Amino acid sequence: MFKRLIVVLVFVAILVTACTSPTATEAPTAAPVKTFRIAVIMPSAITDMAFSQSMWNALVAVQTEMGGETALELKYSEGMFKVPDAAAAIRDYASQGFDIVIAHGSQYGSSVQEIAPDFPDVTFAWGTDVNTFGMPNVYAYTAAAEEGGYVNGVLAAMLTKSKTIGVTGPVEVGDAKTYIDGFVQGVESVDATINVSKTWTGSFSDVALMTEAAKTHIAAGADILTGSSQSVVGSIGAAKENGSVLWFGTQQDQASLAPDLVVASQVYDWTGMIKEIIAKHLAGTLGGETYILQLKNGGLKIAFNPGYALPAEVKAAGEKAIEDITAGTIVVNP
Amino acid sequence: MASGASTKEKQQIKRVEMCNIIKYFPGVLANDRVCFDINQGEVHALLGENGAGKSTLMRQLYGLYRPDEGEILINSKPYTFNSPADAIEAGIGMIHQHFMLIPTFTVAENVALGLKSSREPVLDLDKVSARIRKLSQLYGLNVDPSAYLWQLSVGEQQRVEIIKALYRGASLIILDEPTAVLTPQEVNDLFVTLKRMVKDGHTLIFISHKLHEVMEISSRVTVLRDGRIIGTCPTAEITRNELVKMMVGREVHPLSPQPLKSGPVRLEIRNLQVMGDRGTEALRGVDFEIHSGEIVGLAGVSGNGQRELAECLAGVRKTTQGEILLDNEDITSLPLKRRVDIGLAYIPEERMRDGAIRDFSVQENVFLHDHSSTKYTHGIFLDFSRMRAFANELVNKFNVKTPSLDTPIKNLSGGNIQKLIMARELSRQPKVLIAAQPTRGVDIGATEYIHQRLLQQREEGTAILLISEDLDEIRVLSDRIAVLYEGRIMGVVERNEATVEQIGLMMAGISMAETMQRTS
Amino acid sequence: MNDVFQLSVIAGILTSAIRLATPYLYAAIGETFSQRSGVVNLGVDGIMLIGAYASFYIVLITGNIWLGLLAAIIAGLLMGLLMSLISVTLKAEQGISGIGLYMFGLGLSSLLFKTTIGTVKTVTGFQSVKIPLLGDIPVVGKIFFDHSLLVYGAFLLIPLAWWVLEKTTWGLQIKSVGQNPAAADSLGVNVDRMRYTSVCIGAILAGIAGASLSISLLNLFQENLTAGQGFIAVALVYFGNWKPQGILWGALLFSTVNAFQLWMQVLGVKIPSDIAIMLPYVLTIAALAVATNRVRQPAALNKPFERGES
Ligand SMILES: Nc1ncnc2c1ncn2[C@@H]1O[C@H](COP(=O)(O)OP(=O)(O)O)[C@@H](O)[C@H]1O
Ligand SMILES: [Mg+2]
Repeated sequence: MFKRLIVVLVFVAILVTACTSPTATEAPTAAPVKTFRIAVIMPSAITDMAFSQSMWNALVAVQTEMGGETALELKYSEGMFKVPDAAAAIRDYASQGFDIVIAHGSQYGSSVQEIAPDFPDVTFAWGTDVNTFGMPNVYAYTAAAEEGGYVNGVLAAMLTKSKTIGVTGPVEVGDAKTYIDGFVQGVESVDATINVSKTWTGSFSDVALMTEAAKTHIAAGADILTGSSQSVVGSIGAAKENGSVLWFGTQQDQASLAPDLVVASQVYDWTGMIKEIIAKHLAGTLGGETYILQLKNGGLKIAFNPGYALPAEVKAAGEKAIEDITAGTIVVNP
Repeated sequence: MASGASTKEKQQIKRVEMCNIIKYFPGVLANDRVCFDINQGEVHALLGENGAGKSTLMRQLYGLYRPDEGEILINSKPYTFNSPADAIEAGIGMIHQHFMLIPTFTVAENVALGLKSSREPVLDLDKVSARIRKLSQLYGLNVDPSAYLWQLSVGEQQRVEIIKALYRGASLIILDEPTAVLTPQEVNDLFVTLKRMVKDGHTLIFISHKLHEVMEISSRVTVLRDGRIIGTCPTAEITRNELVKMMVGREVHPLSPQPLKSGPVRLEIRNLQVMGDRGTEALRGVDFEIHSGEIVGLAGVSGNGQRELAECLAGVRKTTQGEILLDNEDITSLPLKRRVDIGLAYIPEERMRDGAIRDFSVQENVFLHDHSSTKYTHGIFLDFSRMRAFANELVNKFNVKTPSLDTPIKNLSGGNIQKLIMARELSRQPKVLIAAQPTRGVDIGATEYIHQRLLQQREEGTAILLISEDLDEIRVLSDRIAVLYEGRIMGVVERNEATVEQIGLMMAGISMAETMQRTS
Repeated sequence: MNDVFQLSVIAGILTSAIRLATPYLYAAIGETFSQRSGVVNLGVDGIMLIGAYASFYIVLITGNIWLGLLAAIIAGLLMGLLMSLISVTLKAEQGISGIGLYMFGLGLSSLLFKTTIGTVKTVTGFQSVKIPLLGDIPVVGKIFFDHSLLVYGAFLLIPLAWWVLEKTTWGLQIKSVGQNPAAADSLGVNVDRMRYTSVCIGAILAGIAGASLSISLLNLFQENLTAGQGFIAVALVYFGNWKPQGILWGALLFSTVNAFQLWMQVLGVKIPSDIAIMLPYVLTIAALAVATNRVRQPAALNKPFERGES
């Protein structure tokens, strides 16, 4: 008797969840004819101040440039940290006739590889990686995160007083790793005696542990922190609580999180890449190429926080590093 | 909440009347216009078969159920009890058939539960313990207030239940089948306590289906059958036979099995040694044999290795040493299934745990062992129509009262479940039958039927081991009686060779030789 | 490395451990109350999220941390009432209702976050309060007596919970309905009321556990902030044998090893990060495996009560 009511209640709960948390597709739909349609699947929230948000902001910017919703329809699925869910979403969008489906996470590669052949008219783009699987309708994209990492490293090395810098991250893969490798090279180019220590928490979502990792760095003497991925917000929180520890961001401009403490951020700007893929798609080239965001091609930018009074000579050194990397006189190894 | 129940003086209950009580359960009319009354200072026995509605009636007096119709008057004032708290407040206490105790609590905590403390909100167990000791002394209820309940014997647990009621100042105490779980010695102790309580002005309702106890303790007796009152009268004015007839609704004839010439040895047990659950030796070298067409009764106080022996013979407990031979074939290391195939049948002591699956239907329980037999399969599929026909036949043949073959077995009464298990086991025409406590918790009618069936099986040549704590049952049915004490056989006697007294002495661990010496 | 450095590392590990243990303590002690009364509430993580969101949002708009804490308590209470309604009154399967509650909490907190806050923001939450005198003791003062009020609260909760469960008539009633509700009922204890109260206490503490993250330890909120901590809290209840002191040791073990592995990484000790990350889980499971004297589980855990059914 009651049992049935319970089942209903539980299902309502599940429904509420299903409708809110991971998917929540939003964005105005349907306009007249010939609306270009892009769907994106992301591992974290579009408001993560990092990886997912960088892509979403770029898409929205392209949409505005193209003339709004009538010209470009956007849909997203966020919080798809479970790959099977993401795979289902990718297939869904493809079968709904989206022109481009972006699988925005290196963990989605095998799903794209499996699904793309079934939808030869749809362009799939995925990253961060360089592998198109030799398929004519798959683009791969990645960011040369080590380049911005190098620049941040140069700046950090010139600012640290304790000669100790802490790095936090979730897992040692992808652009989280390349960013940090570049960062270490940048630091060493200024002063090889500076100690850069790293912690990995093993989780993309455990903010509490990430925060504690940052606090540990601070307790061990670090006066500068940096790191990648979604849960860096926790690290910035720790830096902010301490009040005098500086932060270098990556993927997204993080200055707003701690206007006094963020020195600079490497910003991923996917707009150029997106526009190019759209153009190629319309011209009939559905895939087969790899994009790499670089300082040189404008995909990577260093956003100095205007709120932080960066000494002129430090800023100059940073800009010099940017120039050298762009010119190819400095080569940063990923 | 029973606020201050322990300290405040309760009203003295002079008279309780339950008038025209009607209580329905889904599909059952448990109490049908029952009228019942108790006066101060009497011991009123409520007698009836299992399922007659005794517990239901009393649970309404204790506020656990609300009557669907009818009235409860205490000292001529109408009362409505919404919960036990109200009944406790009115001065009523109840010792439940299944004890209402918390094993992980101490005696004092069990008693204090639900009461306000003198130092609210903090427990004051010292004070509670002191009062428990006083009550223990007063009524001969010896318990240690600081002992944990799980450490206590069943008899001690019952004393805790009585103390709980007395502690709350109950003047009317309901005892629901209090003797069902006790040894004869413990029953005597209980009766001493009950008599002291009555002398102190307490009023008792004593529920039982054992006649001699009712005759001994009660001043008035009411018989309940199928939810209806059959009659009430002073105990002194009625005979045992009249009471049986009122309970069962017909005459019950005592059995008198004819001696049989027994056949060859069917089951032979040599030097059997087995470990108990707690890692102690449960059987320390048991030898005996049972012939075809013979019932051997295994007597003993419970916990002396009976259960382990039965489980070991059935193949559900490992033997550490010794041999079990069935028709000269060594079956010591065979699992239950293989033993069943060879011709062993087993009626387990815990019928709901080991003999049936609660939520399965009657029919499904019939086929617990035989579901894979080729008789009922077409390839890998079960032949349902043939299974149904067979289940139907068994249910009819063994008089199992069930609404349908699809009724979950848990909804049947104890007697009917036991009849069904017997039907299933006997339908295989076993060579050897192990019957452990086959009539425990079973009503008189079903008991009579089960006894007849056992004797009939004996005539058909089955070798039967009857394990029972009911000495009367063993003496009536067995050709030979073996007495088990601390994992050893104290002696094996022919049916008419030994008196109750002699068997009793052996049950207490006196060797057969000495017993015979002492009593002759 | 010299001794001073060693000592400072140990102090650092313990300071971290105490902070990390805080949300687990609140949530696990809360769950202990619930389970002691016979109700398994697997929705702890969801309640923590709601509590974390509610307190964060209130602090964000009012700037008042006490109002924030109150919001977490109210949010926890509402979730507790919902759980009790489903599992006590309607007698639903507790495991499933708990998971439902978790998903509800996860979904609702995400939805509210998106609609009312939108992006990651930070607030000024409970600050560290150095306890006079005690806080000035070298090393020890820093480890134990220089934390936020919510951290102290979590540790004070342990003896308080022990006292309630072991020394009060009320605690006796909570335990009785978790062991044998029929027995409790027959002595006039209101089983449903006890379970409602216990589940709600548990949920309120889970709400505070969430607040200890969002307005004390992290001072921020984002979707799925707890990242499954509530489930670890439930596991700690089993680890701690349903006893506050056991939970204290379990939570401290887990968080100390976690802090230890972070420090080892910071100090550049050469262990693969994957191994380091697994360490707290592996050690906690190992401790559980070797611990003796298990099976203290409340006998009526997970069993709805209906009078007259035995
Ligand atoms: N809670 C219950 N729900 C449904 N049926 C019940 C319940 N309690 C008792 N009954 C039924 O009511 C009848 C009387 O039971 P009971 O009062 O326990 O008998 P007694 O105590 O005399 O053995 C039986 O048929 C029993 O199956
Ligand atoms: Mg009864």
